[in-house]
Amino acid sequence: MTRIKAYCHLREDFCSVNGQVIAKRDKDSEDGWFKQIYKAQEFAYPKFHKMDGLSQAGFLASELIKRIYPEMVTAYKDDEIAMVFANQSSSADTDLRFQRSYEQNGAPSPSLFVYTLPNIVLGEIAILNKWYGENMFAVLPKFAPDFFVDYSQILMSAGSKAVLGGWIGIMEKQVNVFLFFADDSGQDGLEFSPENLAGLAEM
Amino acid sequence: MDNLKEELKKQIIEQLNLEDITPADIQDDSLLFNDAGLGLDSIDALELIVLLEKYHGIQVTNPEEGKEAFKSISTMADYILKRKA
Repeated sequence: MTRIKAYCHLREDFCSVNGQVIAKRDKDSEDGWFKQIYKAQEFAYPKFHKMDGLSQAGFLASELIKRIYPEMVTAYKDDEIAMVFANQSSSADTDLRFQRSYEQNGAPSPSLFVYTLPNIVLGEIAILNKWYGENMFAVLPKFAPDFFVDYSQILMSAGSKAVLGGWIGIMEKQVNVFLFFADDSGQDGLEFSPENLAGLAEM
Repeated sequence: MDNLKEELKKQIIEQLNLEDITPADIQDDSLLFNDAGLGLDSIDALELIVLLEKYHGIQVTNPEEGKEAFKSISTMADYILKRKA
């Protein structure tokens, strides 16, 4: 049976892993919220600073899940972990920044342009971990637990052994991120069902 | 020279949209295209070429020259001074 082994929430003012809050936003800090988490958790990946919000959120949540569930990187071959992400606004947050930058500077910015697709976050995580598994990014009207379970089961019936997935909503100041990792090993964790996924996402 | 390096750091932050980085985070001799430095990539190299033309009126036409010049803040400053001499 596939079970949810670990999960991470990122919201506007807190970050939690498996339901335990590990960071709260310091509104007086000079650093942005995601940089506060990056520094507090002592990550060392300079490319983080070049990423857009969507990719920074994906980096932080996936790395925090890796820390609490290290088997994620030790138990699988490089093509056995699939990624299934979704959100409502695609890469609109960066698209708008790119548009404003183009209007203000009179020239397009290549470094912003490369993030004007939502699935770039999947590429960033795959590059970091050297993963070559299946991945897809869906743009949906709202969080749909059935979609994640159904699509993950299709991928797992076709060779994938585990799934890193979830909702990664980043738009203007709004942060609504819920990533989970599910696999078939052991008896730990909640059953990977739409009901359980919906319950965890609401935490 | 030190002023030029500080200017370059601010220009790189602006040009590459490195909103999370401050000039103090960039060391003069750190390798810009290395993961221990800023971790820049080929897209960013394009941005640096644009930066040199936009802020310093310098066109980089020889790729080998650019490879050397973009190693670090110090080598970029040296290159600008040499081209303007």
